[in-house]
Amino acid sequence: MQGTAIVRHVVTFGRVLREAGIEVGPGRIVDAVHGLGAVDLTRQEDVYFALRQTLVSRHDELELFDRAFTAWFLRGPIAPVVRQRQERRFASSVVRDTLESAKDGDEVEVAGDPRELGASEHELLREKDFAEMTPEEFERVRALMEAIVRTRPRRTSRRRSPDPRGDVLDMRRMLRRCLRSGGDPVDQPWKSRKEVPRKLVVLCDVSGSMDAYARALLLFLHALVGTGHGVEAFAFGTRLRRLTGDLATRDPEAAIARATEAAVDWGSGTRIGSALQEFNVTYGRRALSRGAVVVVVSDGWERDDPGLIGREMAKLARAAYAVVWVNPLKGNPEYQPLAGGMRAALPFVDRFLAGHNLRSLEELAAVLAGIERRHAA
Amino acid sequence: MYAAAVTFRTIDELEAALRAADYLPDRGLSTALFLSLALEKPVLLEGEAGVGKTEAAKALATALEARLIRLQCYEGLDVSHAVYEWNYPRQLLHIRAAQEGTVSEEELFGPEFLIRRPLLEAIDSDEQVVLLIDEIDRADEEFEAFLLEVLSDFQITIPELGTIRAQRVPAVVLTSNRTRELHDALKRRALFHWIGHPSIEREIDIVKLRVPGIPERLAAEAAAFVRGLRGLDLAKPPGVAETIDWAHALAALGREEIDAEVVEQTLGSVLKYREDIEAVRDETLAGLVEEARATAGKSR
Repeated sequence: MQGTAIVRHVVTFGRVLREAGIEVGPGRIVDAVHGLGAVDLTRQEDVYFALRQTLVSRHDELELFDRAFTAWFLRGPIAPVVRQRQERRFASSVVRDTLESAKDGDEVEVAGDPRELGASEHELLREKDFAEMTPEEFERVRALMEAIVRTRPRRTSRRRSPDPRGDVLDMRRMLRRCLRSGGDPVDQPWKSRKEVPRKLVVLCDVSGSMDAYARALLLFLHALVGTGHGVEAFAFGTRLRRLTGDLATRDPEAAIARATEAAVDWGSGTRIGSALQEFNVTYGRRALSRGAVVVVVSDGWERDDPGLIGREMAKLARAAYAVVWVNPLKGNPEYQPLAGGMRAALPFVDRFLAGHNLRSLEELAAVLAGIERRHAA
Repeated sequence: MYAAAVTFRTIDELEAALRAADYLPDRGLSTALFLSLALEKPVLLEGEAGVGKTEAAKALATALEARLIRLQCYEGLDVSHAVYEWNYPRQLLHIRAAQEGTVSEEELFGPEFLIRRPLLEAIDSDEQVVLLIDEIDRADEEFEAFLLEVLSDFQITIPELGTIRAQRVPAVVLTSNRTRELHDALKRRALFHWIGHPSIEREIDIVKLRVPGIPERLAAEAAAFVRGLRGLDLAKPPGVAETIDWAHALAALGREEIDAEVVEQTLGSVLKYREDIEAVRDETLAGLVEEARATAGKSR
């Protein structure tokens, strides 16, 4: 292959990857061309790895890359590469339509107060309560989310900075001052450890019985992820889905559109236990939850074995710094945690809170700000 | 430039050198390390715990006949542990020993009183080095940003001494267990390679290489058994490192093959969590042993 032919190939392939949703900047293209220049082009395996290692930087993009590579270089008979952007546009227009229709109709009221209904009845109604919030409320919730974010639980960093009331001598500064006094530490500059936000992991139930709160909760997740540092968001229904990437945009509407698309089991039943299990296996193992404050947002309606919830909550609580369970049903004064899943989970929960309205979210913010570990390590 | 004493013109040459260093890479890893040297770019190795990420860097150092400098990352890692620190006790002694007013600030903060930590050591070395930045995902993001600067320019600025530039770009291997996604900017700087668990054949070869004299049959059964464990829902699935440890234990016991009894006795060197050991006991264990023996029989 001629040098220019390689460049052309790589540039076009980069475009194919971009279409598939992999971010490929010009720097990567240059690396790929250099990489191909260094390997034996007659060996397919080497060409594959040289391209993969220069063009892909995330594990979850590997499958997409493999399909694109097969399609492009091997012209294999495989499924066409998914064009994520088109789907996204579609999803966001669905959300917009839902919002529009909600503005001029009150039919959402028919859904009744889901707090009075069991999971199955509510699921039958299948009215998405996305619409219950007016744009003003939407803005207010956003502002509140940002307040919650600012009062994140904190941990002490190992890094120290100058602080007259600090607990450790700042040796570097002291020595400089000693120069003037011939080695006598006349005055002592101190420094102390800074406080930095503690890791926060949010697991949000988006199943049928949680529909009414889904939109508010996704705003909540969006604001949390927006702070960028150490926040991980997940949605679950029948399966678990990591949302951190989908929610990492400035525009909440776009974020919600992406999240809606991502949580494919939107509005279906719940398998809390298996979702927690999936979290523990896939993310807990990678220490995502270690030392973190974990917030589970769910009504505790479990389809399957509540025993699994208990076992998985035990694992989660062991790794986490503290576990907070937010149950919108708790907003009802008559609510008793009778649902099997909820009962199984409670022994491992440090704080059990409602999350059904703004006031209760303010309460959640206050609890998160001052949270202390209650359960035994 | 990598004016290395040892250079590799092809992936095969590097692969042979890694094998000579008792490390059996797959083609993808060899390609990644080769490209890292050829393009003078850091390589980021990601994968589950125990797939040999750290070992790969060590083997690369051996292959290059270069010094390995390792920076183990952890939450709260800061410049004084990663780059440099001043030797305060010596500085204080120096001031006291000298006549009052004769020590200048330049003298006090001179190279003589500098403690070099791994990053400075690697940048300021005049011989070929392999810099291993291990478990970068454990360091906090502020440190990651700092590291990005260092890996972009291969230079470090010490306020009192000025800027120190790398005389030769070190080979840099970063590893991550993916407890969090790294910053995109850092990833753009590096080549990326995902290391999966090895194929059964490769794992058997690795065991035979690392446990010299192990009976062929035992190596195959151990590898097959551990592979079976990885298919279960465990808190910490065993990596290749655990297979090797376990094979050592089995060989030391003078076994030719595995059976339920010996597995039960030695399970602690494969599984590190009590719940995992409990989950595998009894029927599961007997079934896995049977399966492993059957698989091992087929693969040889």
